[in-house]
Amino acid sequence: MEQMRKERVDRGLKVRTEGIYAISSYREMAYLLGPRLFFILAVLSLPFILDLAPYWKRVINIMCTYAILAISFDFLANYVGLVCLGGAFFTGIGGYLSAIFNTYLGMPVYLSMPAATLGGAVLCTLLLLPCLPLRGVYFAIVTLMYPLLITRVIEALNIFGGTNGMTGVDSLPNEYVEHYLVILLSLLFLFGMRRFVNQDIGLVLRGVKDNDQSVRASGIDVTSMKVMAVFIASFMGCFSGAYMAHLYMWAGLSLFALDFSIIPIASVVIGGGGTLIGAVIGSFILVPLSELLRAFGTFRIVIYSVALTAFIVFKSEGIMVYLQRKYHQFERWVKI
Amino acid sequence: MLEAFDLMVFYENMIALNNVSLTCKEGSIVGIFGSNSAGKSTLMYTLSGIILDIKKKEEMKGGERITVFGRINFDGKDVTHLKPHERAKIGIVLCPERRRIFPESSVMENLKIGSYLTSGHETKKNLEYVLDLFPRLKDHLHRQGGFLSGGEQQMLAIGRALMANPKILLLDEPLLGLSPAYQEIVIRGTEEIRRSKGISIIITEQYARPVIPIIDFGYILENGSSVLSGTREELMDNPDVKSAYFGV
Repeated sequence: MEQMRKERVDRGLKVRTEGIYAISSYREMAYLLGPRLFFILAVLSLPFILDLAPYWKRVINIMCTYAILAISFDFLANYVGLVCLGGAFFTGIGGYLSAIFNTYLGMPVYLSMPAATLGGAVLCTLLLLPCLPLRGVYFAIVTLMYPLLITRVIEALNIFGGTNGMTGVDSLPNEYVEHYLVILLSLLFLFGMRRFVNQDIGLVLRGVKDNDQSVRASGIDVTSMKVMAVFIASFMGCFSGAYMAHLYMWAGLSLFALDFSIIPIASVVIGGGGTLIGAVIGSFILVPLSELLRAFGTFRIVIYSVALTAFIVFKSEGIMVYLQRKYHQFERWVKI
Repeated sequence: MLEAFDLMVFYENMIALNNVSLTCKEGSIVGIFGSNSAGKSTLMYTLSGIILDIKKKEEMKGGERITVFGRINFDGKDVTHLKPHERAKIGIVLCPERRRIFPESSVMENLKIGSYLTSGHETKKNLEYVLDLFPRLKDHLHRQGGFLSGGEQQMLAIGRALMANPKILLLDEPLLGLSPAYQEIVIRGTEEIRRSKGISIIITEQYARPVIPIIDFGYILENGSSVLSGTREELMDNPDVKSAYFGV
């Protein structure tokens, strides 16, 4: 009986493009740049393509907002080892701060959004600081509880518009600014984070995920590393919140909705954890899907959950991991 | 009793085991020696079926493809495709490398988890037997496993494996990180298990000197293939083995 085994081999092209030979011919360059350029151009042209369907143009904004949240979750979970269940915490803080700066202090949009993003990131980091030295489930629990806590506080004290929310927030100048602000920033965050996690400091963060005691033994303060990571992640999250407040011209309790915590996590699962781009692709699939399923009313949650479960059972590696493998490697049967 | 034919294991394109065949007769102790990366742990995983579990997990997360070939017979039956828990049921019990005890359970609880498959009466008998074999465990019955010293943890791991009523016990590097005194205790315990219960034992180790006195038959693994096999005397007389695995 002859035994056969399936072998997985890197494509010759992939091996060549790893070194200086990457710039030796157009074919090699196209191999490296092709997928990236295709993705960037596709995302940039979305507002023009969807000119035909005005409703779907609004979805682009939400898609990119969730993509930023998903990048932030993916970064924290797969590069620092902090499972953050509090996307809603970041969006809520960012959104409310931006609305406060805009309506109470009279800052214009181009000041209130950056101020809310930065201020929100500092505030979130300070609030999360107590649970950062701990390992384990505490960070997840605390991030999950904060949005609930703040919602109740706003309700009970009836501050910041109470249950009605804060109205009269300035809108962004025009539709194309709305689209391209969030599209460009999500691309910037995506490629920025990809670069960041491969710098020396990114390696240290991955070390924190794998074994924080060894990192400590190398003379690095783990807590300050985590503080930095949480600051970066909450920076992205707070931007999403501030953007949404201006997009809807309103900041209300729904900015603390559980959706902002859950859908990014689902996107990362579908896209493939630890790839960053997978998080973006995941939310580009999930958000339109949930819009499509709106026709089914409350039943859409059922369909949504079944799809997610099926995904986890049959392709738990994630779309991006699968695609990368197919792109870089091929398989063949060999005799042993 | 346990026979393996032409075992081949690939981790992706890297070959970890290359045509390894081995036999362990009823009531004998078989030693497997080799340096790091020789394939000792892979061999143990393959014999105990854990490799099938690792393979499935890797498949699900899209990681390395693990390919396993070969045939394993136990008591005349083909067990090649049995899952690890089914193999444990019929008596192939692994005591894994680096002990893998449950650090947050007490010693007593660790032993009880090991006895999941046996009936109450047997459990009591096995527990007495284990505590007789390693009296040091008696003093720490209610301490958390994670707070034991390395040597005590190793005794606990062997004890836990014994609680499952094995017919054949696979010990993967039981002497890892132990002081010579503790090595002595573990080795004497191993011999005692074979003598009093007639359990066959397969034991792997990098450094052969402490183990060689108790084995009946030995295999030398190098880069995944079995380069030499023989009885204790044959191995001890071989000059290459002497220099490589005895430090003479």
